[in-house]
Formats: sequence, structure tokens, C-alpha cells
Amino acid sequence: MKEILKLGGILMLITAIAGGALSMVNSITKPKIELQKRLALERALLKALPTADSDAIIPVETNGQKYYKGYESPDTTGLVGYAFVAKGKGYSSEIETMVGIDTTGAITGTSILHQVETPGLGTKIEEVTYGEEKPWFQQQFMDRTWEELKLDKDGGDINSITGATISSRAVTSSIREGLKELENELGGFNN
Amino acid sequence: MENKLFVSSSPHITDKESIPKIMYGVTLSLVPAFIGAIYFFGIQSLWVVLVGVLSAVATEGVIQKLMKKPITITDGSAILTGVLLAFNVPAEVPLWIPAVGSMFAIAVGKIPFGGLGYNPMNPALLGRAFLLASWPTHMTIFKTAPTGGTLSGIDAITNATPLNVYRQAKDAIANQATLPAENVQEAYNAMSQLSDSYWNLFTGKIGGCLGETSVLLLLIGAVYLIYKRYISLKIPLSYIVTVALLTWIFGGTEGLFSGDPIFHVLSGGLMLGAFYMATDMVTSPVTYKGRIYFGIGCGILTVVIRLVGGYPEGVSYSILLMNLTVPLIDRYTKPKIFGEVKQK
Amino acid sequence: MSLFKEFFKGFYDENPVFRLALGLCPALAVSNSVQNAVGMGAAATFVLLCSNFIVSLIRKGVPKKIRIPIYIVVIATFVTIVDLAMAGFAPDLHKSLGIFVPLIVVNCVILGRAEAFAGKNNVLYSLFDGLGMGIGFTLALTVVGVVRELLGDGKLWGIPIMGANFEPVLLFILPPGAFLTLGLFLGLFNWIDSRMKK
Repeated sequence: MKEILKLGGILMLITAIAGGALSMVNSITKPKIELQKRLALERALLKALPTADSDAIIPVETNGQKYYKGYESPDTTGLVGYAFVAKGKGYSSEIETMVGIDTTGAITGTSILHQVETPGLGTKIEEVTYGEEKPWFQQQFMDRTWEELKLDKDGGDINSITGATISSRAVTSSIREGLKELENELGGFNN
Repeated sequence: MENKLFVSSSPHITDKESIPKIMYGVTLSLVPAFIGAIYFFGIQSLWVVLVGVLSAVATEGVIQKLMKKPITITDGSAILTGVLLAFNVPAEVPLWIPAVGSMFAIAVGKIPFGGLGYNPMNPALLGRAFLLASWPTHMTIFKTAPTGGTLSGIDAITNATPLNVYRQAKDAIANQATLPAENVQEAYNAMSQLSDSYWNLFTGKIGGCLGETSVLLLLIGAVYLIYKRYISLKIPLSYIVTVALLTWIFGGTEGLFSGDPIFHVLSGGLMLGAFYMATDMVTSPVTYKGRIYFGIGCGILTVVIRLVGGYPEGVSYSILLMNLTVPLIDRYTKPKIFGEVKQK
Repeated sequence: MSLFKEFFKGFYDENPVFRLALGLCPALAVSNSVQNAVGMGAAATFVLLCSNFIVSLIRKGVPKKIRIPIYIVVIATFVTIVDLAMAGFAPDLHKSLGIFVPLIVVNCVILGRAEAFAGKNNVLYSLFDGLGMGIGFTLALTVVGVVRELLGDGKLWGIPIMGANFEPVLLFILPPGAFLTLGLFLGLFNWIDSRMKK
């Protein structure tokens, strides 16, 4: 009995020291980690809404739908468009794409937030051709409204990635569906 | 007089057959399918097979020379590996594909385990698996329509092999709630047309890997193999029957027992796999019962991959996986020795 | 026993991955690029160094019966520190290493060194042992990573170097490529070993 108490005491002491050390580290790194997360989101939002001011992209949440409103100037005047996260089931992961549209409903930019697709095939949704700056697959979405978002395999004219139809379709149709929902939510675009 | 009586250990029955004879016999039996491949896909088939064979033989020769081991390239096993590997790639691949595939098959799949007779997996299939994982775009895209037919064997659909059409149609029907109505209708049409393409599937007027398309020509070779007793019917029969049964039960789109077993048996690499690769003497069970279990296992895995897996075709992976179970199968199906008493 | 020997044994003679076959899980999982391999190696080396130091420091006060839980607590603490620091200062690396950073806790190289060396030797020797083993682990991961990234992606440290016509051997950045590469290296080193003994 005495031995158990002694062993338990030693173990408790060690874990207490460890816990103390960790809480100290946590207090240093916590703001850093949050900053990194915010920066990552901000980068994606700016890619989606290149004309918006980086301080004037406001999150909105209504009826369970979440999206962002982007404004031209920091004092939130001059609405330039909306952004939202589209989620679709790819070949081996849920693909999350940040999508930005202008006020007429045409896509102004996209950026993949999360994907774990097959290297060399599905990952080509983020592939940048040598000498280019933006991923060629996502560039196809630019300036399109949701009616025009259809893969060539499904009768549209967006080129799917060779050998990665499922990943291509996941991105394309998740954006399409997301845009449709957003249009309903906003009661139509001004076009 | 005393020479008449001598004692030696088994085996006591000898045969004229030898490894080279069997290997060249199997290679010979593939000639009809080879000629068919040249007819269907053009002269490029000849080059693909030639490169595959040369690369396999050269790899084996060079490695054995470097290791200062006896050189066995004339026993025909490397040639057969090269031919089978070439039969398992699309006809229009760049020629370095069969070269690298054969090299991998011999250098990784055969020699490190001790050479012929010791390899746990069929080297040609291992080479194919390597190629499929490494260059999926080259290995899964079929461009050349066979002479006198279309890739799918259906006149209306020209851009995919039969199993691809089947898989896309099946997936479309399964997800019809989320797809536009015209796509679903197309899928139903494709599904019913596939059942009318039996003749094309049987003769080989379909797209696919170089040597796998023509059931007729492969069967001619198989008959020769069975006549020469180089292969036993147990593995191919149990394999094909399993595939037919399971696809009939689960392969349809209107519930159980609505599948099309004839389509599944005739399409893809099943004939090539069942008769020429699952029966490989080194990598299949030696016991009669074991061979039946082996064939059933291959069949189950093939159907699982075809119906729910990530690839439209699963013959090569299923045989490779079953190759690995052979020691276990042999161990548990060892026949009882006459007079043996069950141990308690 | 010399410091020199304790430091260099981890490089080749007792290389954790190639000779002792320890820590194979991260060696297989995150060796798909040189960057990941070096990042993982550095993280593991840091944890190994710290845990060897602490374990060796407290070795006389640790009752034999509960030494394993105590070692695990020590290791887990440093792993959490690495995890938090990496998320805060190197988010890209943290994202690509993913779950394998927290899994350093169960990396058997680290517990193995605590149990086999640091629990029995003084602080200086333990530090050198930890550093040598950590560098050996990093070297092994990097060697595998070079082969896999070069063949599987045509790049080194993220920079394309194989030319535009090279078609990457995808197998090598996929999981089977890890087993294949590691197995061939193990075979190579065993072969060198048997040659040297002759």
C-alpha cells in the first residue's frame, strides 16, 4: 500500500511538471497558431476575391449557411462579391474549395483549402503548369456562372483531368451546388 | 545381376517434359492471341511484345552475369514473362513502358527471391502492377480502336473500354439522384447495349490491353495447354464460375440476380488471367483442393474490385493477392497420407 | 566507451532504421519528399535529445516499476512542444507531416534509447547518444526521401531537376514505393555487411 502511494506520488509529480511546462509552451504558441490559421484563411479569401480589400471580407451566417461578403474599401462600402467554401467528396478525401464570385454570380477566383487525393492524378486539381502562375484546372472556372460549370464527361466544356475524373467532378459539382444554394440564399444575382 | 536392383529416393516416375519445353509450349499457345493483337491494334503490338521480351531476357542475363550465377535465359521463362507483361499493357504505350515493366518484373519480382521456382508472385503481373501504379495515365487510357470495331464494342460509344463503360454507367445509376436526367438515361442505354456486345467481346473487337481482348484466340491456346496437360482446368474453371456467379448476383442495377455474368466473363483480362497467369506452376497451389480454393479466391477478389473497388478491372491484383496465400492454402489442403491416423 | 563512439554509432553501425529496424512507421510514411524527411528527422532528433537528457538526469530517482510510464510522459511532453511549435512557426511542414508529428510519441527509437541507454548512462553520454541516433535517423529518412522524391516526383527539395520529359515513377511516392525503397536499402546494407565480414 505504501509503495503504491509512493509510486503514484512520483508519477503525479512528473505529470504535474510536464503539464506545467506544456501550459507555458501553449501560452506562447497559441496566438502564433491562431495567427497562422487566420493568415491561411485570409490568403484563400484574397485568392477568391482578388478585388476585395483584405480587411473588408466579412463572414456572414444565415439559416445555417455560411459565406463571406467582400468589399472594395476597408470601411465596408462597395460590395465586390461573395465567397464560400464548397465541399465535395473526391476519390480519397473531402475536397474543400474556397470560391469567390462577383455580384453577377460569375467566379472571380478559387483556391483549394484541403485535399488528400492520389498524388500525380487527383492532386492535379492544384497543379500549376511550368511557367504559369495559377493552377490550370481551376483557371477554367473563371468568369463562369453555375449553369456553365459542367465537366466534359457530363456534357459540359470544362476539361477533366486525365485519369482523375472523380476528383475533377468533385471540385466542379461542389462549386456548382454551392453556387446554386448561395443564389437561393441571396435571392438571385443582379445580372 | 546385382545392377538390376538399386535403391534411390523419390521421384521414381520421370517424364520427357522439362522446364524449357513447358515454357516454350505456353509461349507457343499465346501465338494466336499475339497474331490477333497485331490484326486488331496494328504493327505496334509487335514492337511492344518484342521490347518486353528483349528487356526481360536482357535483365535476367545481365543480373545473372553480375552475380556470377549460371545464366538461365534459354529456359524460356524470361521470354514468357516478357510476353505476358506485354500482353497486359495497352498497345499504344510508349515502348519504354514494356521495357521498364519487364525489367522490374525480373529484377524485383523474380531474381531477389532466388529465380525461377522461388518467386512468390507472378513476375509479369508484378510488373504490370508496378506500371499501373507508376504511370496510370499510360496504362489506363486506350486510344486505338481495334480493326473492325470500337473501343467499347458498342457502335454508339467510342471512347472507353467495355468495363469502363460498365463502371461509369453503374456508378451513374447508383447516384442518379444527383445527376441530370439525360445522363442517367444515357447510363441505362449503355448498360443495355453492353449486353448486346457479346460477339465483339468474344472475338476481341474491343479495346483493352494488347493481348487480353480476344476470348476466342485465348481459348484456342488454352485448349492446346490443356491437351498437353501444362495446366489443369481446376483453377480457370473455379475462377470463371465464381466470377460468373457473383456478377450475376451482385453485378446488376436492379437488385440481386439482375447482373450480366456473360458480359463479365467475356470482358477485361479474365480469360488471359484465368488460363495463363493464375495457372503459373510456381505461384499456384499444388494440391487439387487448393487449386479450387485458389480459383474461388481470385474470382471473389476480381468481382469485388470490378464492382466496388477503385479500378474498373481487378484480375491482375486479385491473382497477385492470391499468389501470396498459396503457401497457406497448400499447407491446409495437404492430402492425408494413406494409412495416416489423425493426431489427437 | 568513448564519446566519439557513442556519437557515431548511430550513423551506420547501429543506424536505427537500416540496422536496428526501429522507427519504421515514420520512415515509411513521411519519406515521400526530402523536405518531409528532414523535417521529421529534425523533430525526432529534438525529442530524442531532450528525452535522453531528462531521462538520464532523473534515472536515479525513477523507481524501476514505473520507469516506462515516466519515460512516455517525458517523451509525450516534448512531442507536444514540437507539435505546438511547428504549428505556430512552420505551418506548411506541420500540415504535410500531419498526424505523424504526434505519433513521434510512439516512435520506438526514442523509447528504445531511453530504456536501453539514457536510463543507464550519465547525462553527457546520453546527450551524445541521442544526438548521434537522431542524426542517423534523419540520414536514413533523407536517403529514402531522396530516392522517392527524385524518382516519384522528379524533384529534390521541391525543385524540379529531372527535366520536362521525365515521367515520374508515381509508385515511389505512393506507400508501396516506401516499402520497396526501404527494403532495397536494408538489403543493400546487409549485403555490404556480409561483404565486409569476409
